[in-house]
Amino acid sequence: MIRHLFTLIWNRRRANFLLVTEILLAFVVLFAVGSLLVYNQQNYRSPLGFEYGQVWRVTIDPGSQPEAERTATLQQVVQRLQSIPGVQYLAYITSNTPFSGNSSNTDISRTKKEGASIGVNVYGMGDDMAKVLGLSIAQGRWFDKRDDAGTRPPILLSQDAQEALFPQQSAVGQLVYNNGGEYQVVGVVPNFRADGDLASPKPAIFRRMSLQDSSFAKLSSFVSGFRLLVRVQPGAGAALERQMNTEITAIGKGWKVGITPLSKQRAAQLKKVLTPIVAMVLSCVFLVVNVALGLFGVLWQTINQRRSEIGLRRAMGASAGAISGQVVGEILVVTTFGLVLGLGVAAQFPLLGVLGVSVGVYLTAMVLATGLIYALTAICALYPSRLAAGIHPAVALREE
Amino acid sequence: MKATPLTPVLRLSEIEKVYQTRDIETVALNRVNLTIYKGEFVSIMGPSGCGKSTLLSLMGLLDEPTSGTIEVNSRPVESYSDKELAGLRNLKIGFVFQSYHLINDLTVLDNVELPLLYRPGIGGKERRQRALEALDKVGLSARTGHFPSQLSGGQRQRVAIARALIGRPEIILADEPTGNLDSVMGEEIMALLLGLNQQEGTTIVMVTHDEQQARQTERLIRLFDGSQVG
Ligand SMILES: Nc1ncnc2c1ncn2[C@@H]1O[C@H](COP(=O)(O)OP(=O)(O)O)[C@@H](O)[C@H]1O
Ligand SMILES: [Mg+2]
Repeated sequence: MIRHLFTLIWNRRRANFLLVTEILLAFVVLFAVGSLLVYNQQNYRSPLGFEYGQVWRVTIDPGSQPEAERTATLQQVVQRLQSIPGVQYLAYITSNTPFSGNSSNTDISRTKKEGASIGVNVYGMGDDMAKVLGLSIAQGRWFDKRDDAGTRPPILLSQDAQEALFPQQSAVGQLVYNNGGEYQVVGVVPNFRADGDLASPKPAIFRRMSLQDSSFAKLSSFVSGFRLLVRVQPGAGAALERQMNTEITAIGKGWKVGITPLSKQRAAQLKKVLTPIVAMVLSCVFLVVNVALGLFGVLWQTINQRRSEIGLRRAMGASAGAISGQVVGEILVVTTFGLVLGLGVAAQFPLLGVLGVSVGVYLTAMVLATGLIYALTAICALYPSRLAAGIHPAVALREE
Repeated sequence: MKATPLTPVLRLSEIEKVYQTRDIETVALNRVNLTIYKGEFVSIMGPSGCGKSTLLSLMGLLDEPTSGTIEVNSRPVESYSDKELAGLRNLKIGFVFQSYHLINDLTVLDNVELPLLYRPGIGGKERRQRALEALDKVGLSARTGHFPSQLSGGQRQRVAIARALIGRPEIILADEPTGNLDSVMGEEIMALLLGLNQQEGTTIVMVTHDEQQARQTERLIRLFDGSQVG
């Protein structure tokens, strides 16, 4: 029977060409959107590498205060904030705070010469940041006082940075180079994804920010102000926020302070990133519904055009079930043609590796799109197939 | 090799067929009693609209009578399910239509194979083999790869006859098989049917408008306005 269907469809290839094309296009669109969704979902599910709950970002704009006085005032402010009971830990951070949309990129390598370098996000962070963000240390240690005496500035790598630079060996104690500077790796943390839940994973390096450190001025020079992340006590709210604000401005006259929970920034960022994705999914749904309606219309029309053929088959001994089976079978074979072509197109993505997305994402999207298209065509064929099965065998004698 | 003419293949008793459309009721057949015996060649004649096709569709189990009973091999058919009826149609009956009713997108060979597609337990190889045999019987062995549109009317009807033969049915029902053909081709088809009946013992019921053809058959049934008149 399958062979019969193939013969029939092949002999009617001109009529089936449009259907195949339509299915091919629908598949490609579903595959593309599916890949996007799967990729985002995969990113969403991989751990961020830090805990953002109960962490507030404090931004400070020192305004017109002369630059020479700023660090001294900041030191006072930090001491004051630390003494507030609702504040558990706080630490400096560069402007690329989690979920902020800011990023800071650089290249690091294992050798002085440029070469086998990798692109990374670079963060400057204070000594207490591991506690503020609940970072777990995979190897070595976080920054601490010992680093004041070190000959080379300390650096931490994220797990993926360590794997890229020092595959199958420990990075702790090794030297890495960045912009001509020589750094000593003191530790490794799990993958750190401060770019956000849906962002592609990217290796990260962490440099030490300390008021004692001469590089501090340099690290913060590209920002107009300072940033702190503060871990507050669970349940802390508006009262603490007001108190922190008052305390900071009491010391730093004319300073402007902004306090935002990271969870709020995360929600805002997710909304911003999800909006275009939702729009794309909606247009995809629209397209798929269109294709489905088209398919349904074509099938319905075909059944009406083939009443006499179907009556004939009934007269030759086909049962009603055999007829509806044939209608569904035909559309599934046509669908398979479209899908085989579509899979050929889709396979180019992982084969060429153009977008740097893992093969698993593409495979998942292929499976999803294939399943969806089959389900769609089967549903579209359901009613026409029942229509066909209802065609009376006596039609063979009447409609000629 | 004719069987005793008293084995009934089809028996129709007190058949009535009424077509009910929105506001008119057409009595297409009225109390028809008819038995077809194994090996017979029966022709049916009558003016247009007198119920010949209706009678044939009932004999071919394509439709159900409004009242009365049809027996195939002495078994009444009204108790059968759709699937069982389909099986009976497939096994016992071969149909030939006035306008051939070939599937234009299938080759001659594929068209002839069609009935065997719906018969379980027959593989592709056997189908092919039997289709070739059937085409040989109707003298079309050289046209197996042609499409219906590439054949003459007489050739098309011979394909249709091969298709009716392939299932080795007990009875062939032909509804004006020569109606669309010129007299030469018509005679050709008639000769073919007569040959099948006489040499192979195939039971045939044929609707025709041609008195001369009807005279060549053993029995003639005349219908007028839904009733038997002879
Ligand atoms: N499906 C149908 N619905 C309604 N009336 C029908 C149908 N089929 C046939 N008839 C009517 O039944 C009568 C017999 O038709 P038919 O058996 O086709 O006659 P014939 O084959 O002798 O020309 C005609 O009056 C015809 O109009
Ligand atoms: Mg008729």
